Amino acid sequence: MKFKKFIRAIKSGDTDKASPNTKQVTGAEIEETIELLKKNTTQINDVIFKKIPTNEGIVTMVYSNSLVEKMTMQVMVLIPLANHLNQIHQISEKIDPADKTEIISKLMGGQTLLYFHDANLLLSIDTYSASTRAITNTETESTVIGPQDAFTESLQVNISLVKRRIKNPMLKNENRIIGTESNTEISLLYVEDIVNKENLEILKKRLDKVNYPSFPDVSILKQLIEDNPLSPFPQYYMSVRPDSIVHYILDGRIVVLMDNSQAAIVCPTSFMDMFISVEDYYNRWTTATLLRMLRFFGFFLTIMITPMYVSALTFHPEILPYELLLNLQESRSKVPFPPLIEVLFIELIIEVLREAGSRMPAKVGQTIGIVGGIVIGTAAVEAGLISNILIVLVATSALLSFLPPIFLMSNTSRFVRYIFILSAGLFGLFGQMLALAWLLAHLLNLSSLGTPFMTPVIPRKAGDLLDGIIRFPTAFLKGRSGISRSQKK
Amino acid sequence: MNVDKRKQLNGYHVVFLIQNIMIGTGMLSLPQDLSSMGYSLALYPLLFGVVASLNLWPMIWICSQYKNENIFGINEKLLGKWIGKSFNLFIVVHLTFFIAGIIDDYMNLIQTTALPEQSTTIPILFFLVVAIYIVNGGIKSIARFCMMAFFLTLPLLYFLRWAIEKGDLSHLLPLFNFNKSEAFEAFRKGYLSILGYELIMVYFPYIANQKKAYKHALIGVWISIILCFVVTTVSVMYYSEWQLEHVTYSVLHLFKAGELTYIERIDIIGITIWVFLVLTTITGYLWCAKKGIDSFRSKKKISHVYVITIAIYIILSMPFSKEVKEKIFEAAFQTSYLMLCWPIFLIVVHLLRKKQVQS
Repeated sequence: MKFKKFIRAIKSGDTDKASPNTKQVTGAEIEETIELLKKNTTQINDVIFKKIPTNEGIVTMVYSNSLVEKMTMQVMVLIPLANHLNQIHQISEKIDPADKTEIISKLMGGQTLLYFHDANLLLSIDTYSASTRAITNTETESTVIGPQDAFTESLQVNISLVKRRIKNPMLKNENRIIGTESNTEISLLYVEDIVNKENLEILKKRLDKVNYPSFPDVSILKQLIEDNPLSPFPQYYMSVRPDSIVHYILDGRIVVLMDNSQAAIVCPTSFMDMFISVEDYYNRWTTATLLRMLRFFGFFLTIMITPMYVSALTFHPEILPYELLLNLQESRSKVPFPPLIEVLFIELIIEVLREAGSRMPAKVGQTIGIVGGIVIGTAAVEAGLISNILIVLVATSALLSFLPPIFLMSNTSRFVRYIFILSAGLFGLFGQMLALAWLLAHLLNLSSLGTPFMTPVIPRKAGDLLDGIIRFPTAFLKGRSGISRSQKK
Repeated sequence: MNVDKRKQLNGYHVVFLIQNIMIGTGMLSLPQDLSSMGYSLALYPLLFGVVASLNLWPMIWICSQYKNENIFGINEKLLGKWIGKSFNLFIVVHLTFFIAGIIDDYMNLIQTTALPEQSTTIPILFFLVVAIYIVNGGIKSIARFCMMAFFLTLPLLYFLRWAIEKGDLSHLLPLFNFNKSEAFEAFRKGYLSILGYELIMVYFPYIANQKKAYKHALIGVWISIILCFVVTTVSVMYYSEWQLEHVTYSVLHLFKAGELTYIERIDIIGITIWVFLVLTTITGYLWCAKKGIDSFRSKKKISHVYVITIAIYIILSMPFSKEVKEKIFEAAFQTSYLMLCWPIFLIVVHLLRKKQVQS
């Protein structure tokens, strides 16, 4: 029988040449391990112990029911056990019964353990097949042009989505386990002959230092490995679009994927990257440039519009031409509050609307439109709580805040705006300019993986300007960006 | 990545550090300071440029003899520990008053234009907090901020358009219509507005390419000089001689010549954006004063910045009368001339004590 040969081979250490001191495993030892497993898994009801009679005597099978699909079990284990025992040889791995923590972690990782009673042999087969979501199109970063598929929550699927786009042996994915309690798997993706080794080193060092119990999403890891965790600005790009992730991998960045997390993070990232959507490369360069300008200057406008209103009306009414001032005063004639309170009031209401809109089930979502548009918009003005010019300004700035393709950035603009409103309320335009000085100094001091965050503004190389606020025609965009400090140019 | 962590300033950092620290509130009152020259003042900044370029040379020379020392270290080496240290302390006190003077100047301006109904006590506090924030990032952060400030404030030049349109080119002629005493008076008052390049003696050890430092510094100086030149020329075109002499902050009023349908009083926007230029000047001086205390106490500490800022705040909020304050700050400004001539003195000492110091 072939299987007997296989068993002999395994026992004599033929297949396991790596460890020379393979000692003879006795049946009692394995028996003891199985008993221990049973004891340890009394409250884990999905761990199943089954004894199956085969041609080679009794086989005890241990596996976790919720991580292994029935079909996989059938194909990988049960059919080979019944008919083609030598197939087990090809797909299994021998394990040492003394290494109990390893056995437990294998079991928790969805592997199936097989104990051949007669042959005194403990094997494991990778049968992990937890059910996953199908690949669908993205709802958070949708584009009109370009591929529509998005990452799912399965690490394997996500890696395959990347690898099918870069068919290059230099594309490496280094997996490692992170999270002291959850043992989550993450994967670092990079192209070995493009990526900057120093960046890779820094990132790995930071990952080594991470000591955090569990990671429900990759954004938690992102906050732990950022250069300045106190900053309101996200320092790494985050996306669920494989095409955009692939763009950055080929630029020489490092991408971190995490199991059970849809998004991937890109390190390092510059401030300008936050305003670049991968769709810009699919559009014609004229359209792309227009959109990028809108996004970039929109960010500064959205934090400036309403503070402008506050400072102009509180401190410098003389800044406005007579007609405009008259117009403003007329619309504010019934409003009892000072401009600062008025602006804070309506901004907070917009915040509430936005938050309610994102929490509300889709079927009642229409209500938000009616409540927000009619009740608050029209009625508040008619009631004399706010001026209608302010409504226009607030609505514009709310819309502008959604322009950055990264949602984290639009969240930041929401937060930063309040700093500007308050400083405008304190010292008018002077306060606003001080706040802007703070903002710019802060941005200039930020770094992402040790590289300055404002890289295209302070270009590391002239080529960055070709793919900055102005997106030059595609033929010009052959070079890699300065921030990735890639090996290949 | 820089191998040596201290050598962090590239060429363009030096250019913008020099250029932006030079431009502060001084530029706003430059035409008035030079007004003794009459209409001939338009060309005067160019003379300043020549003087500054000549003046830069001894500074760079003495620093390049001691590549890893700033002016404070050189003082200690050349003049001995005690004399050097006490002179360094004097410089720090001078810088502190100098900074206080600039802030006082700018804040008075803010109060008269943008915040007429507020006292300046709390705005100064916020201003200093932002300055500390920038200084704590180190000299490179200041250099980057200088670049940003330059590009942000450059569009202000556009607002000179109307002044040029309304001005009269014939004011510029005759070119050399002044006598010696007028020229000297203008020089004494006006040269202060282009101070700032002397700080290169403090951040020289941080410059990566020290051999080209003189060239980069010159580029910086001349960018500022050309800006000053533009401003004085436009003022001469726009104002009458009497106005040049009596209108304070005449550059601000140049902005007022602007006519836009959607904004009036462009000067308010101009003066508030000017905070960037003042911040670069202040942070530059503040950083240097901090370095002074560092070398005085022979250790580096962030708290030194706070000590200086608190001192500045106390100086500014002292209940002195306006005249006394002006006298103090005037003294601080005039002391700067000593700083400009100091490297020449150091070179003499260096040549005399060369062998002693090097042994």
